Amino acid sequence: MKRSISISIIGFIAFFPILLLAFLSLSEQWMFPNILPDRLASGPWKLLLTGKSELLYSLLLSVGISLLVAVVVTIFSFFASRQIAYSPIGKKILWLTYFPYVFAPVLLGAILQYYFIRYGMSGKISGVLLGQFFITFPYGIIFFISFWNARIRSFEDLVSTLGGNPFQKYKQVLFPIARPAISLVFFQTFLISWFDYGLTMLIGIGQVQTLPIKVFQYVNSANMNHAAAASLLLILPPVILLWINKKYVLTRWQM
Amino acid sequence: MWSRTIKNKSWLWLTVVLTAGPIVLGIGYAFAYSFGLTGLLNDGFTIEHWQKTITYTPFWKSLFFSFVIAILTVFIACSLALGIALRFRHIWKQHQALLYLPLTIPSIVMAFFVFQLLSKAGFLSRLLNRIGITSGIEGFPDLVNDNYGLGILFAHICMATPFFSILFLQVYQNERIQLFNQLSATLGASKMDRLRKVVLPIILQKSFPAIILYFIFSFGSYEIPLLLGSQSPQMISVFTIQKLQRYNLADIPIAYVSCIIYSIFIAAIVILSSRLLMYQQMKKG
Repeated sequence: MKRSISISIIGFIAFFPILLLAFLSLSEQWMFPNILPDRLASGPWKLLLTGKSELLYSLLLSVGISLLVAVVVTIFSFFASRQIAYSPIGKKILWLTYFPYVFAPVLLGAILQYYFIRYGMSGKISGVLLGQFFITFPYGIIFFISFWNARIRSFEDLVSTLGGNPFQKYKQVLFPIARPAISLVFFQTFLISWFDYGLTMLIGIGQVQTLPIKVFQYVNSANMNHAAAASLLLILPPVILLWINKKYVLTRWQM
Repeated sequence: MWSRTIKNKSWLWLTVVLTAGPIVLGIGYAFAYSFGLTGLLNDGFTIEHWQKTITYTPFWKSLFFSFVIAILTVFIACSLALGIALRFRHIWKQHQALLYLPLTIPSIVMAFFVFQLLSKAGFLSRLLNRIGITSGIEGFPDLVNDNYGLGILFAHICMATPFFSILFLQVYQNERIQLFNQLSATLGASKMDRLRKVVLPIILQKSFPAIILYFIFSFGSYEIPLLLGSQSPQMISVFTIQKLQRYNLADIPIAYVSCIIYSIFIAAIVILSSRLLMYQQMKKG
C-alpha cells in the first residue's frame, strides 16, 4: 500500500511538468491566484496547424538542422572511429576527443565566435551546423569506439580471406552488425543538436531561430502559452524515442 | 587490406583537426585577446587583463557559486536517487518509464517549468495561497531569480535525480549487489553496516565517472541560470557570456580570461578524477 502510494507520487512528479506546460499552452488567460486557467484556447496550436505560426518555421528548421547534423556525424564518426580503434596511436587520438568536454557548449561557442564572424558564418545556418558538428562529432567517436572490438576485426579478416571486397564487407557484414550502434549514435547526436541552445544562440546570433531559441524568446517577451507550446514540441522527439527504445534517451548521459 | 587501412590515415587526421582543432584555435584566440595581442582596444602585449580578472571579485564569486551549485546538485540528487533506487529496486522494471520520462526534458524547458512552478505568481504560490498558507503574491518567498540560487539548484536536482536513480538501479542489478547484501546479512551484518560497507561503496565507485561528468555539466550549465538566476552572483557561463556581449569593449578580455581559467579548472578536475580512478583500479589489482 505504502509502496503504491510512493509510485503514484513519483508518477505524478514525472508527468507534472508536461501537464503544467500543456495547460499553459492552452490557456488564453491565467490570472493569479487561480489554480486553473481562466480561459482555455487552442491559440498557439491552431496557428501552428494552420501554418501561420513562426513556431512551424522553427520546428522545421530544428528538424532539418538536427537531422543533417545526426546524419553527417554518424557517417563521419563511424569511419573515423574504425581507424582510431585500429591505429597504434588510436588511444592518443581518442584522448583528444574528450577535449571539447572541457568547455560547456556555450563557452566553446564564445571562444570560437571570432572565427565564425571572420569567415562569414555567424548568424547563418551553415555556422550553426558546423558549431554543432564540433560538439557532436566527438560524442559519435566515443560511442562507436567500443563497437570496433576483436570480434568485429576477426569478421573483417574473414571477409578479406574469403575474397570479399571493401564494399561487400561494409554492405553485407559491418553495416548489418553495426545497425544498433548506428541508430544509437544517430538518435543521440540528433538529440544533442535538437536541445542545443547556448552554441546556437552565440553562433546564430538570434537569426537562426531553432526551437530552443524560440522558447527563450517567447519567455523573454512574456508570451507564456507560445513558450509552453514550443517547450512541448521540444520534448516530443525524445518522448517518441523513449517509446521506441529507452536507451536512445539515456546513453547520452552515460558515456 | 589491413596494410591499406593502416596506411590510409585520412580519418585519423580529420579527427584530430575536428576535435582538437577548434579547441586549439579557440584557446589560442582567447589567450591572444587576454594578453592584448589582438582585439579592438588592445595595442600590444600586456598582463593587465589577467591582473584585472584575478582581482575581480565577481569573477571568483561566479566560479565559487558555480562550484557550490554543482556540488550541491550532485550531492542532493545522488542522495535522493539512492533513496529511490534502494526503495524501488524490486519493482522498478514495471515502472521504469516514470524515471525515464524526465530525461526527455531539456535544460531550457526545465528552467521554464521551474519558473512557472516557483515564481511568485507560479503554480506553487497559487496552491499555497488557495489553502491559506500564504496570502497573495507578496506572501510567497523568492525562489527564482534569488541570490542563493534556489531555483537553479531545484531545476538541476529535478534533472539529475531521475538520471542517477536509473544509473544506480542499473549498477545495483549489474553488479549483483543483492547477492553481496544477502551474503553480508548471512554473516551477521546489520542493515546499516550492509548499506555503509557493501551497497554504497559499490554503487558510488561504479558510478564515479558519471557523477564527475554530471558535476562538470552542472558547473558549466547556461540555460537554467540564465532564466532562473539573479544578477549577482551569476554562474560562470552566464558571467562569461554577459561580459562577452556587453557594449563595454573593456569587458571582453575578462570574458576570455574567465574562459581560460574555467577550462583549466575543469581539466584539473578531469585529470584528478581519472588519476583517482586509476589508483583505485590499481589498488584492486
